Amino acid sequence: MSKFLRGLIIAACGALISVPALAAGDAANGEKVFKKCVACHAVGEGARNKVGPHLNDVFGRVAGGLEDFKYSKAMLAAGEAGLVWDEATMAEYFASPRTMIKGTRMAFAGLKKESEIVDVLAYLAGYSEAAASDQPAEQSSAGPAQETAEAASVAPAPPTSSTRDGGVFGLGRVATAEEIAAWDIDVRPDGKGLPPGKGTVADGEPIYAEQCAFCHGDFGEGAGRWPVLAGGHDTLADERPEKTIGSYWPYLSTVYDYIRRAMPYGNARSLSDDDVYALTAYMLYLNDIVDDEDFELSNENFTEIRLPNEENFIPDGRAEEPHFAADREPCMKDCKPGTAEIVMRARILDVTPGDADDGGAGVGAVD
Amino acid sequence: MSDKPKTKAKAVDRRGFLKAGIAAGGAAVLATGARASESDPLITEIQDWNRYLGEGVQAYPYGQPSRYEAHVVRRDVEWLTASTESSVNFTPLHELEGIITPNGLCFERHHAGIAEIDPANHRLMINGLVDTPLVFTMADLKRFPRENRVYFLECAANSGMEWRGAQLNGCQYTHGMVHCVVYTGVPLRTLLEEAGVKTNARWVMPEGADASAMTRSVPIEKALDDCLVAFKMNGEALRPEQGYPLRLVVPGWEGNMWVKWLRRIEVGDEPWHHREETSKYTDLLDTGKARRFTWVMDAKSVITSPSPQMPVTHGKGPLVISGVAWSGNGTVKRVDVSIDGGRNWTTARIDGPSLPKALHRFYLDIDWDGSDLLIQSRAMDEAGFFQPTKNELRAARGENSIYHNNSIQTWHVKTDGTVENVEVS
Repeated sequence: MSKFLRGLIIAACGALISVPALAAGDAANGEKVFKKCVACHAVGEGARNKVGPHLNDVFGRVAGGLEDFKYSKAMLAAGEAGLVWDEATMAEYFASPRTMIKGTRMAFAGLKKESEIVDVLAYLAGYSEAAASDQPAEQSSAGPAQETAEAASVAPAPPTSSTRDGGVFGLGRVATAEEIAAWDIDVRPDGKGLPPGKGTVADGEPIYAEQCAFCHGDFGEGAGRWPVLAGGHDTLADERPEKTIGSYWPYLSTVYDYIRRAMPYGNARSLSDDDVYALTAYMLYLNDIVDDEDFELSNENFTEIRLPNEENFIPDGRAEEPHFAADREPCMKDCKPGTAEIVMRARILDVTPGDADDGGAGVGAVD
Repeated sequence: MSDKPKTKAKAVDRRGFLKAGIAAGGAAVLATGARASESDPLITEIQDWNRYLGEGVQAYPYGQPSRYEAHVVRRDVEWLTASTESSVNFTPLHELEGIITPNGLCFERHHAGIAEIDPANHRLMINGLVDTPLVFTMADLKRFPRENRVYFLECAANSGMEWRGAQLNGCQYTHGMVHCVVYTGVPLRTLLEEAGVKTNARWVMPEGADASAMTRSVPIEKALDDCLVAFKMNGEALRPEQGYPLRLVVPGWEGNMWVKWLRRIEVGDEPWHHREETSKYTDLLDTGKARRFTWVMDAKSVITSPSPQMPVTHGKGPLVISGVAWSGNGTVKRVDVSIDGGRNWTTARIDGPSLPKALHRFYLDIDWDGSDLLIQSRAMDEAGFFQPTKNELRAARGENSIYHNNSIQTWHVKTDGTVENVEVS
């Protein structure tokens, strides 16, 4: 046994992760927990590599063992040292990936609850032949039981309805202050909605490295087609504009609001308000809007910060464009001299899906 | 019961045998055309489906299209986005007729995957500048008076990949981020009145319950005009990918505002300037300035057949040119079609219902002489706006707008009947 692997086992024992039988896990709940992972990992029929490797037949796979996936050096080294994924090794890895494999590219911080780890393992086991023999009961309990319930001819009981005094129809009920506080987290440019809190650039850096850098790049440059967050100054009138927080976004409040409601991708609402202040401060730093690592952003000084492109947003001017004049009669006969010549063909680019070789690199975005 | 397998086995054998016959017959028909002197074995021989029993009722408790229609599906463009959970696919417009899109073919656009919500666990909150902040269950919502309305939904980025030039071969890809269904729902106005809107209210902000918690700012005039809080599409529950159990309908305006999995409406006095209305869905001009709050979807049309995925296979003679047109300003008043790249135009026939902010179906029935065609369509709406050429649009905005490309599309129909996406002088 290599030194490396021995180290792993010691680490596993040290973390006191017990390794219950897979059958103890709840695969259905594991599927829910796995939603934290689907931004990067696919499993099931037709699963392909995404940001992370696909997880079909991961049980029994040598670490770094997929030939068509580009692993970190650390992961390949672990595989060479003899690391094979099974219940014990995956449980350890899921608890804290970077404690177990220093240098792994997986940015995920880890599953905090042991029950979540057990459930995810049970879920993944359903897609691994090597694990199937260990847990025959699991597969049969999750699927068919549900189908039986669905086959019932009566619709499920509807949610209850309530009435109240007042209003036009007297329907619904009054929202409690606690309910409103739970959902009303939106922030506006004038600062309305900002929660009390604070965070510095230096606080934000490690959070960014752990939670954000995998998709957005170490310096906000964006990995692959994931959004670029920094740079792009003075490119908006160029042939290829780079629309980033620093070069394009009009308001800092949008950064705070969006991180708080939707990031990290696949694990929304997991950051504290102070974390979001720190990350927002770090965005300012990556975009050279502040240059001091000790700069602290808080609800007190938030609205003092203005983004450079705020003035370049203008109202909808489409109706003033020459071709938009209403009640203009369009030309019907001999509208242009000469015969029409083809000046551009889709075939030249050849990026249409399903073509023999679609090239895979067209131009454009839908965002 | 014991007979069934035998019957099936026989049927399969016979089907296998007949396949050869069909192939031969097909070739004969092609070779001799309409003057076929040989008899068609599909007629002279008794077919399986004419003799053996088909499947009984309840073989499919929820019906499916014929297996011969398996190619009629939504498709995506893999290189376009970083992950399928924040991505888009496209309606197969080239295979559809009429004005209603079947639910399973309506294009999808998600920002954090398809939220899976038990309607019993869904709530809609109305808060902010209202007299009484309220919470509704789905059951509550179904006790308000409801309406049925047909509307198109178009993503503002539809045709967004075509700004720089012809790129994708197929109207599914160039124009497929649009669909049109009949919605059943409660007017948003009714729900706002139930809560009591304060006099300083100017904007509302719908919010989704999915992991992107999608938000947009909608002016109060629109909210009180024709927006619906919908729970049905084409008569059945919203599909999960369309926001089950509840979505906002914002007729004629960009699809991003039609918040799916709708869980909250906040009323305010200022717009929120959230991510989807600042960093996205703003139209960057060649000056470096960007237009914001460009809500209305302009008059637009596309010929769906012939088109690159729907070539002409029958040779010269009668040819149906079929297409769809729509406008966020109301009804489509007229659609003109050109077969010579925009030199001369003929007004097409609009067939079927002409409803405001809904798809319109148009036809031009021609006698094709078999020569090259450069076919285009140009919609004009009831406000009098009509579609610009690609060059006119680029002259006004540059090539980096992404959104609101409603320019005239050109298809090159070649002498062999194949069709390509082109641009013309």
